[in-house]
Amino acid sequence: METIKLHHHVDEEIADAIIEPALNPPLSIEIKNVSVTFRSSNGKTKFTAVREIDLEVKKGEIISLIGHSGCGKSTLMGTISGMVKPTSGEVWASGLKVTGPGPDRGIVFQNYSLLPWLTVFENIFVAVDAALKNKPAVEKKELVIHNLKMVHLWDHKDKHPGQLSGGMKQRVAIARAFAINPSILLLDEPFGALDALTKSSMHVELLKLWNLDNREKTIVMVTHDIEEAIFLSDRVVVMNNGPEATIKEIVNIPLDRPRNKRSIVHDPMYMEIHDRLLTLLNAKLSIDDIED
Amino acid sequence: MNKKLLSIVYLLAGFAVLFLGWELASIWSKRELPSPFKTMAIFFNMWSNPFYDAGPNDKGIGLQLLASLKRVFIGFGLGTLIAIPFGFLIGSNKIIMNILNPVIQILRPVSPLAWFPLGLALMKVSDKATIFVIVITSLWPTLINTAFGVSSVPQDHKNVGKAFGFSHWKYITKILLPASLPLVITGLRLSIGVAWLVIVAAEMLSGGVGIGFFVWDSWNALSLEKVMSAILIIGLVGLVLDKLFSAIQKRFTYAI
Repeated sequence: METIKLHHHVDEEIADAIIEPALNPPLSIEIKNVSVTFRSSNGKTKFTAVREIDLEVKKGEIISLIGHSGCGKSTLMGTISGMVKPTSGEVWASGLKVTGPGPDRGIVFQNYSLLPWLTVFENIFVAVDAALKNKPAVEKKELVIHNLKMVHLWDHKDKHPGQLSGGMKQRVAIARAFAINPSILLLDEPFGALDALTKSSMHVELLKLWNLDNREKTIVMVTHDIEEAIFLSDRVVVMNNGPEATIKEIVNIPLDRPRNKRSIVHDPMYMEIHDRLLTLLNAKLSIDDIED
Repeated sequence: MNKKLLSIVYLLAGFAVLFLGWELASIWSKRELPSPFKTMAIFFNMWSNPFYDAGPNDKGIGLQLLASLKRVFIGFGLGTLIAIPFGFLIGSNKIIMNILNPVIQILRPVSPLAWFPLGLALMKVSDKATIFVIVITSLWPTLINTAFGVSSVPQDHKNVGKAFGFSHWKYITKILLPASLPLVITGLRLSIGVAWLVIVAAEMLSGGVGIGFFVWDSWNALSLEKVMSAILIIGLVGLVLDKLFSAIQKRFTYAI
């Protein structure tokens, strides 16, 4: 009897070792008790943007950080990208502690941040050249060409950013982030400056790019837009208002993929999630909500 | 009416206004100030044989102008060689900026004429003294604008460098230099304007060959028509120099 029990125990351990990683894929991003405090230039005033944030993101997940202006969501994403140093706590990405920006994390800024004196091609090349220093030049060129074609901007490769529309500039910025082949993509209100129609098609384009990569890239996106958050994400992290912002609630979005802009709005689960987010964000719903 | 034709019309209209004002002033001064028509006659006469050389004190207007331009470009060139590196240093380092800023503010407003005796004492030869004066008065706009350009690179551009791990060298060559270039060129444009202004004044004091000397010499010979002609030439050359740098500026300014 005891021998059988022993076998059973060992089998269980082996089984766990195989099944466990499949059920719980490795964490892509871990935010451990992170707080970020800024000091004014004279050192006198302190401003705590976010306080004691804990968050785990699995590999291949798409999550959105949503909240009102000033709720620290961009700051929080800054700790993941390495552009912002946490005052306390740690951020781990791709199994390593984050100490600064790195080629495993691609960033898309709110204001595109393309260099105006370089062509579209050069803008992407110069980033690839810097982030992937040790790769041969031929491979770097290939990455630029591949990603430019992926965002359908190959025909515009010799133009300067000043000659492009907002949507095109953002596609270049996205191509630039993808080109360094990061395992994590960080998008800071990437579509905030675009008109609604362009923004909507950009959502679909982003998901297409994500799909083309076998859904392996982890994506973290900061946004104000509820519909955008629901359409793109697996989970939506709702932040409290700043200062000293914390996570209010994390809403799961178990909607099937690929998602469809037309059919999704008729899905009862979508409507439920949409309601929940409106409530969490204390949205003003009608003129009766506002006190006179 | 197409654009080019229109701009020529405006140019001619401008000259017409200038000449009208001049004629009125001439009449009002009882012809002490020569009329524009007499002046233009002398002007064209001067330019009919611009490169004659009849000795050290009698040369054609073309030679005088070339001598001045040569000095201006040497002075401007030397000034630029000093101004741009110092501008970069000051713009990129706050401590150096705080130390050198008072020095700049003290030296900048000094008139070229005040620098001239110092130039003579240092350089001995009046020609070199003139160049010294151009260097020390015209380098300030370039220096100040370069410092400003270097210290005000937009945060968006800096973020690109940080996000993608640009090395120091890459940041300087691909972000810092191109970002500050428009302001550096603005500085150059202002500096050449100052240099051209200064050369005329300095040459009046130094003598020799040059457009400034020509003005003073013509005054001594009581030929106000020649003085007015020289003024016109000085103005036109200044305009051309400014337009030249303005075109360079346009070439290197990119829309975001």
